[in-house]
Amino acid sequence: MGIAAKSARIDGRRQRSERTRQTIVEAYLALLRESPHIPTAAQIAERAGYSIRSIFERFPDLHALRVAATDHAFAIGNTLAVPRDVDADRSTRLRSQVETRAHTCERWLPLWRALNANQGDSIELKMRIRLGREMIMKRLELMYQPELSSLSDVDRKRTLITLEALTDFESWGRMRELYGLSFEQACALWIRVIDRLLPPTPRH
Amino acid sequence: MTDSSIGEPSAAPDNKPGKVDGRRLRSERTRRLIVEAYMELVREHRQVPTAVQIAQRAGYSVRSIFERFPDLHALRVAATDHAIAEGRTQGALSNLDADRATRVRSHVETRGRGCERWLPLWRVVSTGLSESSELRERIRLVRQLVSMRVEFMFRPELSTLSDSDKRKTLLALEAITDYESWGRMRELHGLSFEEACATWIRVVDSLLPPTPAASS
Repeated sequence: MGIAAKSARIDGRRQRSERTRQTIVEAYLALLRESPHIPTAAQIAERAGYSIRSIFERFPDLHALRVAATDHAFAIGNTLAVPRDVDADRSTRLRSQVETRAHTCERWLPLWRALNANQGDSIELKMRIRLGREMIMKRLELMYQPELSSLSDVDRKRTLITLEALTDFESWGRMRELYGLSFEQACALWIRVIDRLLPPTPRH
Repeated sequence: MTDSSIGEPSAAPDNKPGKVDGRRLRSERTRRLIVEAYMELVREHRQVPTAVQIAQRAGYSVRSIFERFPDLHALRVAATDHAIAEGRTQGALSNLDADRATRVRSHVETRGRGCERWLPLWRVVSTGLSESSELRERIRLVRQLVSMRVEFMFRPELSTLSDSDKRKTLLALEAITDYESWGRMRELHGLSFEEACATWIRVVDSLLPPTPAASS
């Protein structure tokens, strides 16, 4: 067999292995969305259509699978939540930022909860939670750059901290689950409050 | 005195209530000490303690714990109830009739102290929510109490709003002054107690509508 054929075989095997890994991660995420309970290896294997052994051939333990699922979620989240309307007027930016954030919360709240509930002593998960929050802050800074630029450093930091708390995953979860707000009502509330918390838009 | 008294003839019936009361008081005290040990450990280690750790801290045997609580979940629920009762006492309303700035400061500082004290327990309770309707119910109660407190403290301002706007304002204030929001200010952003209070004071003030003339 030639080198080319050998390398094609290895590539094919690697691709299949990657696909299996991907399917396992997706099964884990799908189970989390359906139930707040952390899925067991047996449930994940059944949903993915593989054996339990296949899972542990690709992940040393369920914690490693959780970390991989988080990375996968971050990657998808970043793709789906590209910043839009960055240069638009204030109300367009508000709507755009809130709706994007709301879609993210709607999609990833179950994983976020699992991540927080199981972070324990895991430096890897803690780091990812921190990264998630930093990304939210950066997005807020980007979307409301004109308004925030008119504030002192201290006030800008305070405003960002407040906006991050307001638009937290659990804040979204409470509006939807505890207070029964529809997606649109919850977005309208966030838009109204953010608009109130931001300083006036400077005139150029 | 032991439980063997059950088989004793009723030689002194007038002593019985006192004896039973004493036993009940001791048992109540043991229960309270176990709950307090649980909460101390949660504050120190920021995770659910084991039965051995609780017993050791309380100065009782593991068996004593399970004589009073069927399992550690029941103990966690009891600790939550204890915390809610204590929180209600410590967070009693004050400065209700004061001017806006005093009420905002008073509310924020009380809430800040409450978060400071109860955040570790809040986290431990929150991790058990998916498995326990009892804990979910208590979390809901705490949120209601927080909202009611805001309503009392800022009644003059909130009374100028429509029902819908009042609800929105309360939801926003509740979200922003949540336990975890406090935790992030202190742990993630490194704010001191005073700086964190200052952040909340500014936000609460900016979210409330103007104070009606008669109340300012």
